[in-house]
Amino acid sequence: MYKNGLSYGGITLLSLLTHISLLVVVFVKGSYETIMSPIILSAVVIISDLLYFFILHFLKQNTYTLDILLITLLNMSVIFQSCFGGVGFAVKHFIFSVLALACCQAGFKLAENYQFIEKYKYIFYGICGVLIISILLFTGSRGMWIDLGFITIQPSEFLKVFFVLVFATSIAQQQKKKKVLFVKVVYDNMALLALTGVIMLLQWWCRDLGSLPTFAAVAACGFLMRICYPKAKLSKKLIIGLSAAGLVIVIIALKFAPSYVQDRLHVDIWSDPTGNGWQQCQALIAIAEGGWFGKGPGHGVLYKVPAADTDIVFSSICEEWGMLMALLAVFMIILLLVTALINTPRSYFHTTLTVGVCAAFIAQMALNIFGSCNMIPFTGVTIPFISQGGSSMLTCGFMIGFLKAGQARVYPVPVRPAQQNINRRTV
Amino acid sequence: MKSLKRGRNLITLMMLIFLVGIVLLVVKIQMEASFYISNSGSRDLGYVYDCNGDILFDDNAQAGDYPDGYFKDVGNLIGDASGQMTNTLVANNLERLSNYSFTKGITRKGGKAAIYTTLNHDANEQVYSAFGDKEGCAIAYNYKTGEILVCVSKPNVDPLKGYEDLPDGSLLCKAFYKTVPGSTQKVSTLISAIETMGIDRLREKSFTCEGSYTNQTGEDINCHNSYGHGTQNIDEAFQNSCNPFFAQLVEDPDWKLSDIEKAYKKLGFSVNGSPAGSVDINGITAQTASTELTDKYEFNTQWSCIGQGMSLVSPCQMIMWQSAIANESGKSTMPYLIDHVTNVNGRIVETAKTSHSDQLFSAKTASEVKSIMLENGNNYSGTIPGYTIGIKSGTAQVKDGTEENSLLTGFVDDDEFPIAFAVLIENRQQYDITTDSIVYTMLSALD
Repeated sequence: MYKNGLSYGGITLLSLLTHISLLVVVFVKGSYETIMSPIILSAVVIISDLLYFFILHFLKQNTYTLDILLITLLNMSVIFQSCFGGVGFAVKHFIFSVLALACCQAGFKLAENYQFIEKYKYIFYGICGVLIISILLFTGSRGMWIDLGFITIQPSEFLKVFFVLVFATSIAQQQKKKKVLFVKVVYDNMALLALTGVIMLLQWWCRDLGSLPTFAAVAACGFLMRICYPKAKLSKKLIIGLSAAGLVIVIIALKFAPSYVQDRLHVDIWSDPTGNGWQQCQALIAIAEGGWFGKGPGHGVLYKVPAADTDIVFSSICEEWGMLMALLAVFMIILLLVTALINTPRSYFHTTLTVGVCAAFIAQMALNIFGSCNMIPFTGVTIPFISQGGSSMLTCGFMIGFLKAGQARVYPVPVRPAQQNINRRTV
Repeated sequence: MKSLKRGRNLITLMMLIFLVGIVLLVVKIQMEASFYISNSGSRDLGYVYDCNGDILFDDNAQAGDYPDGYFKDVGNLIGDASGQMTNTLVANNLERLSNYSFTKGITRKGGKAAIYTTLNHDANEQVYSAFGDKEGCAIAYNYKTGEILVCVSKPNVDPLKGYEDLPDGSLLCKAFYKTVPGSTQKVSTLISAIETMGIDRLREKSFTCEGSYTNQTGEDINCHNSYGHGTQNIDEAFQNSCNPFFAQLVEDPDWKLSDIEKAYKKLGFSVNGSPAGSVDINGITAQTASTELTDKYEFNTQWSCIGQGMSLVSPCQMIMWQSAIANESGKSTMPYLIDHVTNVNGRIVETAKTSHSDQLFSAKTASEVKSIMLENGNNYSGTIPGYTIGIKSGTAQVKDGTEENSLLTGFVDDDEFPIAFAVLIENRQQYDITTDSIVYTMLSALD
């Protein structure tokens, strides 16, 4: 049976109370020019909360925990983003939060029926191809964004969604082996290997060092799931061999990496606190100044540093809200992923899809948080739903939709009466 | 079910790795937060005190808050947070002085973060004044515990008066930098000789000084006594500080240069360009010693063993050797300046502990050198009365022989008053203040 933990009323009340508590802190400890700023923020957050809960209730889903957690996280993020450097209202972030929820529903609908995905997988390969070409033509080594004038789009973010999707596989697909010369191979695996190679080279070429490890994490988990699919003869030697090969490739890549990569690997930020290490030094100082409980919403100064609301957003939250609150936000994201452990995916396809989503989310969070805190090389990636950034918000919304699809009731395919009992057990 | 379990295990593994990272992050931030704050413009720094509670550093001090020249004897040792001096106590311990805790944030008023040093400000000021118009440095420490009690370097800087128009050398505490040791080097040479050939064989040797000695390569080694010291053994030569004796000792067949080089390296010398060592004194880097020993028959090697040529030793290193001799252990007592540190709440978070170096030379050698130095110390009973001291003086020619520096290093042989010291007076003239009188001032002030 699907586990929701709390009743719909209980969980929505909890979510609402979380936001109200944060808003009270904004009123009491916040830095604002007029009282209207926190009033507007509060009104938008509470009204949107109620609207979300109302709409969600009428969707008649059996899987509402994930949605409510997402709504809680998104409006927490809206409150954080609205307070950096002074309480206001982050309109753009709020709009993308609403769109992220819509994308979550879209992702859910798209991935709900795995037979549809498997049947039309070539379309998703095609979309990956189009996105790769768009990166080559419109961004390339000059940057990572396509500027449409009214909006900028980061195609590599959207590529992540479809990359995760094409890595999902069923057991049946893995058993369709064809003999090529002397080896039996799965065509889909070969196609994925090629796609992974192309994307890695592309990311390397356009210096998107933030996305590269995320793609690598998704690919590593995806291939691991394919090598070890349940009916495969699990070969520890093969796994160890492939892991060693991967490690060697990483070491070689790092050894011969261009100077801008080497700089990131070896920079001692405190020996160059006004140059190469400026962002990270300021981020760490901000965390220290914030302490456990923060300076108060709007009282931070880190917002003056570039990427304060994206790449070093964890430090910005720590500064204004304290490390406890920043960790709470991170654990909210972890909680989203933990739902997959409670309501385990109902098919091998959805298992592989869920693993891909978790790999992408965890890799991004680790790169952002540990990178900005100088535990690993600093790369410009976002924390899902917390960082400002339209492309990231939308794609993360899609991926949470995939996660939700893995936890939903079995897609209602026509079944003969004799098969109904079998399907019931898998619900 | 197997498929679901595999996926669940992989997700759990990824989450666990991430959560371990988060735990490490929290630990890292907890441990390093004070350091981050010390690099922030919004920091608030506590005081540095001497052993009697005198303030040695006050980040918020303005001209007029303290008597004129109050900090002048400790300016280049304690330093300040302006970044003008890097090898000072404050510059290297901003984190410890930070009135900050991760829970309470920065405490602007009433923060109790402080460094309590081992320095005796009163004694330090007296020694500083004793230099008169001369420049140089003096350092003294308790050779049993390692507490630095006096550390003066002239010229100095008063941070309250700014950094303009300062004489050369004002921003460096010379006690931590190498200088030509003059005949104080004979202590190291004596130690090395005993270590390599043994005291009995060394005592069997006697050489004649006629005021000058022409070595085997035809170069003259002059003695400060132009009439010569006659025939002497090692004890007499050490007391006479006889250069020709030591030049002949270096040429002696029992003097194996390779063994001497090893003994010098054990003492902490960088020999012939080998890696130079340093001593960390609560973040302050103190240089040790260096020399060149290439050919025992050549002037330069002999001259280095006598204390000129390429030999350089820091006064800090001198007192560390003195501790190894005075303790008769052959191990230096490591010097320190910080006695204890309190955090923003006034709680003691660090307390100094006495530590020792590796074995520099044998305890037997230490005893022998101690007795030789104490014998020499008897000659100072007139100028440093009331103390049983082991001592070695030195005169170092610098700036191509145009100036002479005067040095004195030694120890007080008293378990109740275990002080090792080194004093340097730069460009000392005949009727200037003497190193003896500065040592006497120092010991009297500390006693």
